[in-house]
Amino acid sequence: MRLASTVLFLCFFSAHVWANETKLDTVKVETDLATIERGAGVLMNTCHSCHTLKYIKYRDLISFGMDKQKVDEWRGEESLDSPLLAQMLKDDAIASFGTAPPDLSLMVKARDGGADYVYSYLLGYYLNADGELGNHFYPPTKMPDILNSSTITAGAELTEIQNQARDIVSFLSWVADPHAQERIRLGYYVIAYLVVLTALLYLLKKQIWSKLK
Amino acid sequence: MPNRIITWIDQRFPLTSFVKHELTDYPTPRNLSYWWNFGFLAGFILVLQVATGIFLAMHYKADVTLSFDSIQHIMRNVNYGWLLRYMHAVGASAFFFVIFTHMARTLYYGSYRAPRELLWWTGQGLLLLLMATAFMGYLLPWGQMSFWGATVITNLFRATPFIGDQVVIWLRGDFTVGDATLTRFFSLHYLFPFLIIGAVVIHLVALHSVKSSNPSGINLADKDNIPFHPYFTIKDLYGLGIFLIIYSVFVFFIPDTLIEPANNIPANPMRTPNHIVPEWYFLPFYAILRSVPNMLGGVLAMGLSVMIFAFMPFLDRSRIPGGARFRPIYKIQFYLFMLDMLVLGYVGYVQPTEHTMVIGQVATLCYFGSFFLIPFVSKAEERWLIKRGLPAEITALIKKEFLEKKARKAKALQKKWGIS
Repeated sequence: MRLASTVLFLCFFSAHVWANETKLDTVKVETDLATIERGAGVLMNTCHSCHTLKYIKYRDLISFGMDKQKVDEWRGEESLDSPLLAQMLKDDAIASFGTAPPDLSLMVKARDGGADYVYSYLLGYYLNADGELGNHFYPPTKMPDILNSSTITAGAELTEIQNQARDIVSFLSWVADPHAQERIRLGYYVIAYLVVLTALLYLLKKQIWSKLK
Repeated sequence: MPNRIITWIDQRFPLTSFVKHELTDYPTPRNLSYWWNFGFLAGFILVLQVATGIFLAMHYKADVTLSFDSIQHIMRNVNYGWLLRYMHAVGASAFFFVIFTHMARTLYYGSYRAPRELLWWTGQGLLLLLMATAFMGYLLPWGQMSFWGATVITNLFRATPFIGDQVVIWLRGDFTVGDATLTRFFSLHYLFPFLIIGAVVIHLVALHSVKSSNPSGINLADKDNIPFHPYFTIKDLYGLGIFLIIYSVFVFFIPDTLIEPANNIPANPMRTPNHIVPEWYFLPFYAILRSVPNMLGGVLAMGLSVMIFAFMPFLDRSRIPGGARFRPIYKIQFYLFMLDMLVLGYVGYVQPTEHTMVIGQVATLCYFGSFFLIPFVSKAEERWLIKRGLPAEITALIKKEFLEKKARKAKALQKKWGIS
């Protein structure tokens, strides 16, 4: 007993060791077409020059319901069935940044904190005392401050870049899991069906067991 | 017509008698609680894993350059591929959850005792097979955690005396985890479930020979046994309904909770993740591994921590029936052990620090200590319980069992000597 309480005490005592991690901002990921399309627009204009989205094709954007004209604008000469590869070649990117910009298809799933992490990261730039750019959430980053979050710290402009970051994250969440909405919709039907079935099985079980004296 | 067909078959194959003996007439204790549903659930999940796995294998590519992409192909382009993959991934966790509950019930009610030792040991073998299958399956998505998990675990075999390095290379098929490792793990991940099915048949043969244990801990009289069908088929189906509801919540609403984010990054042998964690079901054993400072010692401790359950029939020397139900000290030990498992799971999950090292070592000592204490504690507890006077309920049960046994013996003798 004493041993157990010591162990428990140590558990609680050590919990605070991890409490001082940088706290992520939370974001509500939107799932409506308008937000996701806006996010795609921001991403295609700012991120897509360096970052790929190799698991998504231009055709997927249109079948999701995005405006065909916009998609045509984004893809330029590319075929509808080509994946969203970056305009910059990987070697050029390595030459200018020292590292290959990661593919963004699974970005919101590939980091602890998910969408909140990506959102916080996009808005997490700051200028240190020497005027050098840094990021609170991923200090070794080589990515430029695309939303200018290091200089915009208040007012309508801040709301604007927060909205842009939310749109990007919403788009990336759709890219990471394009079947999520279908999955959730189907889930309600499956569970409703199972609840009814289980209730009937319970009644049948009661009826069968009532035969026992 | 159907009757004639069945008669035709029965003359050539024991169909009717088999169904009768193993299902419709199979005697099952009527006092089984819902804790006895988990064996059936495990069997159901096994079928589910095999079924989803076969379809996943039709779209999966075991090749270091293609694996990660083929998972995304399944998730995005294959019709209901996302459903298959999430069912399979959640199914692995569900399998361990159900098996751990099944084992906890056996420990709580003392179901491992005579004459069910072989039943318990075949179950122990099944657990090892399941762990091996799950471990190999985890490499297949070829994410960062897949790669580094397999690297860490195969590397443990370096602790083998004299031939450690050769064993590791033999397991991996290469100097590092690579294409050779991936293809063999895929091949074995497809093979092992069928070995598990074979082992399940042996487990069931053992079960049907000694019959189910029950919460009272003694063998019940004939009148307290009821046919498996329809009483337990319906009870198992009802339990299955409850299970499927919980399972579906995971599959449809929170399928990514049990997938480490790092596994959504393709494997990169040049870059070690900050924090390598196994799947949740290996965490307590992983914590034991890390708690022992010496590598060989750690590996042995981890192996023993899984295998030690097999010794329970010898360690538990109490003859009081009903497991923890009528044994207050054993009950406390049981719950402390469960708590210890949770603490170990926590220690296995977090980044190791000085604090968690100490907690892990204390919890490891408690883990093995509780097994070490059982022979002494169980005997002392038995003496104490008898001295204190057993509750009337158990005395009646033991007496009844004794009389039943005597009556059966007398009947057998009468039959032998032809006395009616």
